[in-house]
Amino acid sequence: MNVEALLLSLRLALCVAAILLVIGVPLAYWLAYSRWRWKFLLEAIVALPLVLPPTVLGFYMLLAMGPRGALGRLWYAAFGHGLAFTFAGLVIASVLYSLPFAVQPLIASFETVDRKLLDASSVLGAGRMRTFRRIILPLSLPGIITALVLSFAHTLGEFGVVLMVGGNLAGVTRTVSIDIYDRAQSLDYADANRTALLLLVISFVVLSAVYGVNRRAGHRAWASWPVK
Amino acid sequence: MASEVSSATVAARVRKVHPGNAATFFLLDVQMEVPSGISILFGPSGAGKSSLLDCIAGLAQPDAGRIAIDSGVVFDSEKGLNVQPQQRQIAYVFQALALFPHMTVEANVAYGLPHAPERERNERVSEILKMFRVEQFRHRKPREISGGEQQRVALARSLVTEPRVLLLDEPLTGLDTELKNSIIEDLRAWNAAHKIPVLYVTHSREEVDALGERVIAMEHGKIISEGTPREVLDAPRRRRLAQAAGFENLLSGTVLDLREPDGVMRVRLADATCEIEVPLGHAAPGDRVRIAIRAGDILLATEPPRALSARNILEGKIASIEHRGTLVVARVDCGVVFTVHVTPGAERALQLAVEKKVWLVLKTHSCHFVEG
Amino acid sequence: MRFPLRSLILLCALAVFRPAEAAHNIRVAAAADLKFALDELGMRYEKQSGSKIAVSYGSSGNFLAQIQNGAPFDVFLSADIEYPRKLEAAGLAEPGTLYAYALGRIVIWMPADTRVDLSKLGWKALLDPDIQKIAIGNPEHAPYGRAAVAALRNAGIYEQVRAKLVYGENIAQAAQFVASGNAQAGILALSLAISPPMREGKRWDIPTNMHPPIEQAAVILRNAKDKDGARAFLIFLKSAEARKILESYGFSVPASAKSQ
Repeated sequence: MNVEALLLSLRLALCVAAILLVIGVPLAYWLAYSRWRWKFLLEAIVALPLVLPPTVLGFYMLLAMGPRGALGRLWYAAFGHGLAFTFAGLVIASVLYSLPFAVQPLIASFETVDRKLLDASSVLGAGRMRTFRRIILPLSLPGIITALVLSFAHTLGEFGVVLMVGGNLAGVTRTVSIDIYDRAQSLDYADANRTALLLLVISFVVLSAVYGVNRRAGHRAWASWPVK
Repeated sequence: MASEVSSATVAARVRKVHPGNAATFFLLDVQMEVPSGISILFGPSGAGKSSLLDCIAGLAQPDAGRIAIDSGVVFDSEKGLNVQPQQRQIAYVFQALALFPHMTVEANVAYGLPHAPERERNERVSEILKMFRVEQFRHRKPREISGGEQQRVALARSLVTEPRVLLLDEPLTGLDTELKNSIIEDLRAWNAAHKIPVLYVTHSREEVDALGERVIAMEHGKIISEGTPREVLDAPRRRRLAQAAGFENLLSGTVLDLREPDGVMRVRLADATCEIEVPLGHAAPGDRVRIAIRAGDILLATEPPRALSARNILEGKIASIEHRGTLVVARVDCGVVFTVHVTPGAERALQLAVEKKVWLVLKTHSCHFVEG
Repeated sequence: MRFPLRSLILLCALAVFRPAEAAHNIRVAAAADLKFALDELGMRYEKQSGSKIAVSYGSSGNFLAQIQNGAPFDVFLSADIEYPRKLEAAGLAEPGTLYAYALGRIVIWMPADTRVDLSKLGWKALLDPDIQKIAIGNPEHAPYGRAAVAALRNAGIYEQVRAKLVYGENIAQAAQFVASGNAQAGILALSLAISPPMREGKRWDIPTNMHPPIEQAAVILRNAKDKDGARAFLIFLKSAEARKILESYGFSVPASAKSQ
């Protein structure tokens, strides 16, 4: 059983979930409240990773990270080495891959906040930041938790993208899904099974915990508000 | 803590197109000046009252116009000026209240005072909570208190910020009369001390009577009448307003002739031989008109009355009798069906029953000529 | 009522049992590195025999697992002789049909625009600081990867370049890493290095004595539907014509038809 690969996957999933929270919230806020007529195009772009095969996404990432790609050139200029085959490369690719899993629950959550509450907040003198911090955020907590968990879980199970850009370096890019695949390729099915089972158990526990908490949080945040 | 008595006004000239289907489309086009004190915006739903309030508050933007609070212009389409709601210092209590469900009553009320130093904030919050009699709920969440208490909290939350204008959109619907009156009392008391313009939207006649200093009647996006409650509501000039104002009888008729020296005109009620005398109005013989009569203004007799001052006595038969609490609603067919309200005592004394022959007595001045 | 029913049954039976066709239809599972070679071999064979060949390219390891679980192939052309041997041992292959059809060759490959003088430096080229990443197949399960590591050890530079190594899932992916520029050099299969997309690059052939032989073997599968067709194809593979084609694509062919 490859503990190193498992820890690597957990680290990757945590990084990606955190980053997606930071970039996902402003993006989701804009998509939820903007009235730009071409907004639907951006929504479609954000949803693309849902339908693109991960290997396709990975392939284009590989090209983008190369010396001819925009991303690759930038990275090389900044750090003096390539982006592919690094943990950072995995993080960037995974962020793209899991983007809709973070952004969509966030948008849904923001949209369920009663607009009248936002109006009331404005009239009472609160600017957009304050309204966001004190009204939207607390009332969207279930959605934020969902976004975090989905990005975490989705990244944990990621295979295709990592396969394309990872290079299978132990401790750096050999995530647990790659490791399981390797074991299977080497016909070491027993070990593959053990690791896969552990991954399954961890994922199940994480998801159950979050959905359980969400149920209770949902009760608090969405207490039926009597509308006259 | 009494602040200076302000003599603020709100002057608004607003024009806004409301797209919608054939039924809901209207053009909001008003010009008004609201002095300090309570002004009622009265009218049926869809008249544009809430929309006007949204424009004054800055939550909606008029297509054209100018809105000024005291001498401060908050909206001017010609100059491209549109002050954000945050800066307008307006209090707005929505119909749905919009109390923040995840905050306590105290936090809700304190929300509009983030910049005040803590001690002052606490003082002001406590004071207004006491004034509106919800101090004991300060640590509860909105869902844990009753409807009436929520209303008071909503009012307190808006008023603690010492706004220049108070806008209220049907704030008391759904509450029972006693509760309404008590809240209205508190509001009056507050306003007596602060004297800011208060625009109170309602479609309830009771509230108009309870509150009314000034009534502005709106329909279909336009102001159709302004003045005291008596002036605006008791002599309705529009059919829908009449319905809103509680005239149970709206009858079509044709003007027969005018009797100017007497100040009356005779009207034949449609499809019938009934003729009644109504106060002289702007009409010519042959015009089709509508006459509004309150059910409570009609007298019922079981014998032909004699020597009465009333000019309109109509013979008919009781078509139905309905009991609504302490009110007896009788529908009487005189060729035209009238709705008449009597007390249960009267019903018993006169032994009213369906098919019974009765006479209706209508005072000339109880018949109101309604346009449209 | 029974008369029409009988005809119906007869019709169904006829539909199911088609008369034996003169031409065959064989399904081949082939290692990824055979892509170009097998495309041509397949075309030739189809023209000659009138049979149809359907090839699935992929990782030999994957095919092994799929065949073990009943995948409907007739012939398995593996990149590693170990897999057909395993199938034989498990009784999933037709006995006596194991055939080492080619020997793989490896090369050092760099893109054409590299500043490193590969032809002059040979192995030393991999030590150049410009070469930050070297792509090879995964030595844990790809025979080309194993051979690459063995050759690096034999060349005495394995420890020095170890940190630079990145592993492709199969040799084709390793090629992808270098071709896209993310790795500056790679140890690839000769068959891939001379294929059209990679032909323009710089290459340095690694002597075959620097690594254990990369034996690529084929086998006919036990539950092949068309054993006759499969056999005919294998015979073609052993023919002089086929061997010439294989050589032209960078594979060495064993001198005599080896089996077992």
